[in-house]
Amino acid sequence: MRTKTFKQSTSQINALFQYRDTWFWYGLVLLLLLLWPWVAPAYMVNIGTMMLISVIGAVGLNLVTGTAGLISIGHAGFLAIGAYTSAILFTDHHWPLFPTILASGLISACISLLVGIPSLRLKGLYLAITTLAFSIITTTMILETTELTGGSAGKQVTRPELFGISLESNSAVYYLSLLISVLTILGALNLMRSRIGRAWGAIRDYDIAASLMGIHVRGYKLLAFTVSAFITGVSGSLLALHLRYLNIDSFTLITSVEALTMIIVGGLGSVRGAVLGAIIITLLPEISSRLFALMGGNMQSLSSANFPELKGVIYALIIMLFLRFEPDGMTSRWDHIKRFWSDWPYSRKPK
Amino acid sequence: MNYFNSLVVSGLVVGTLYGLVAMGFAIIYKVSRVLNFAQGEVMMLIAFIGYSVALRTDGSQPMVILGVMLSSVVIAAIIERLIIRPMLGQPIFSIVMMTIALSVLLKSLISLIWGSDPMRMPGVTSVATLEFMGVMLQPAQLVLIAVYLLACFSIWAFLRFTLMGIAMRACATDPTVTMLMGLSIRHLYRLGWVISAMLAGLSGLIFANIYHVGLDMGHVGIAAFPAAIFGGLDSVLGSAIGGLVIGVAENLAGGYIGSGYKEVASFGIILLVLMIRPHGLFGEKDIERV
Repeated sequence: MRTKTFKQSTSQINALFQYRDTWFWYGLVLLLLLLWPWVAPAYMVNIGTMMLISVIGAVGLNLVTGTAGLISIGHAGFLAIGAYTSAILFTDHHWPLFPTILASGLISACISLLVGIPSLRLKGLYLAITTLAFSIITTTMILETTELTGGSAGKQVTRPELFGISLESNSAVYYLSLLISVLTILGALNLMRSRIGRAWGAIRDYDIAASLMGIHVRGYKLLAFTVSAFITGVSGSLLALHLRYLNIDSFTLITSVEALTMIIVGGLGSVRGAVLGAIIITLLPEISSRLFALMGGNMQSLSSANFPELKGVIYALIIMLFLRFEPDGMTSRWDHIKRFWSDWPYSRKPK
Repeated sequence: MNYFNSLVVSGLVVGTLYGLVAMGFAIIYKVSRVLNFAQGEVMMLIAFIGYSVALRTDGSQPMVILGVMLSSVVIAAIIERLIIRPMLGQPIFSIVMMTIALSVLLKSLISLIWGSDPMRMPGVTSVATLEFMGVMLQPAQLVLIAVYLLACFSIWAFLRFTLMGIAMRACATDPTVTMLMGLSIRHLYRLGWVISAMLAGLSGLIFANIYHVGLDMGHVGIAAFPAAIFGGLDSVLGSAIGGLVIGVAENLAGGYIGSGYKEVASFGIILLVLMIRPHGLFGEKDIERV
């Protein structure tokens, strides 16, 4: 019987997964995800794609907000930049798939430097304010540059071909999102166990101590912000492919708040938490509209007429309740449960 | 030149509005180091309450002002008690996220209750406008300027001469020592929130009288951020002056480049200020001791 896990060497601390059978379980999940388009109806495949795109975005935001402890309220701006870059390159310039995705990420990373360099020199909440302003500016600029982005009329996205395979079908976009989300998760996990990830954690916990240990605080903060913007840009590019039609309404402040809700619900600073939170929050509108439909009558008509407002209320309440009562998120709850059962007879509280 | 003048003057008038809201940010930040992202939404909520009071009372001004003042005290006390106080001692991230969630909550609730269409404030009749330096000004805008000057003066006097004001400044410098002197930090925080909500309520009411009551009032809250940063987040009067600068800059950018570029201008100012003088024009430099 395994009672406790003792780590006896640094390689155990640094291991990607703690136990060998974890590989088996994650492999099983991956297999199920691969089979998903074969068994599920088209509607569910679309939800799956949306979920995977949210996972990428949430992992990206979690690197800067959860791991490095810098609040960004403007990630919808990076998402918009990634999405519109892809739309312009695909539709107007007929770029191939992977260069476009890469370009979307790089452009949003470059713009993050523009926002990050002045505001990350300072301690405190300056990044939060500048990112908020940044996302509003981005929205305005996209609306103003009509000939490039379509302005308020929106922009159509043509899906490209890849090695002669057309990406026209929804399941092709699903597989693409799956591939990129697996790469993102592995990348983020590996970043977290490297010097960079530990430096981010140290800065979040106590920046003065971190700088005394020889960590270049400003540089690492900027790195976190840029990496996060890159990942968000990539997820924006996938979003453009998935939605096929971009409208500025998908990139407002509520989108940033939605992303923050994901990582708070899941657990700040943990990749698993971000994934979990993204899945729960993507499913939330489905679940809540089903619930409202179950209640029938008045509630149903209220929920269908005012869905965006209700969504705002629900997100806000979730953020508040989680921050107040479960600040470490679902992933810490999961750890508690696991520890309870692995320590079982001794984990009961004495009466 | 006339065009320039009129842009500057109307920018100053809008700027006083930004300044009032920015003072609200600065008061809360000064006392408790919390940045209240819901300031614009608090202002919106109080303006909507004022609108409802005006509907019930046929637009009688004294009743509306009374309702606005009362509701701002009550709302600030509720927010402080239910949302901010339980989070004291938590990392600043949690408190700030709470205020962001609060802003989303208030905005959604307002549009659920009052709908999302802008409405005219009842009881506002179009009165003759006055001409000043080639700019037509409504009487409500003159009231706005008067309120702004009065608010600046009374907050300055409050922080300078009264016991509570001095206590608030002490709390800004060192909360622990303030507690040791026998002052209740909670009272000071609540007082900060109440003053800030009253400023927000006043500016919301005046905004409603000049323009309309609607969901776009939250824009004033966002424009007040650059104002507060320009003047220095912990300097109340600095933020008030920052509001004027942001108002004029926005109006000039809007008039000469294009109306969409108003926000770009204020954002550009934030970036400039952060690069050249990060603690703002009048803010105090943070010195950190380990």
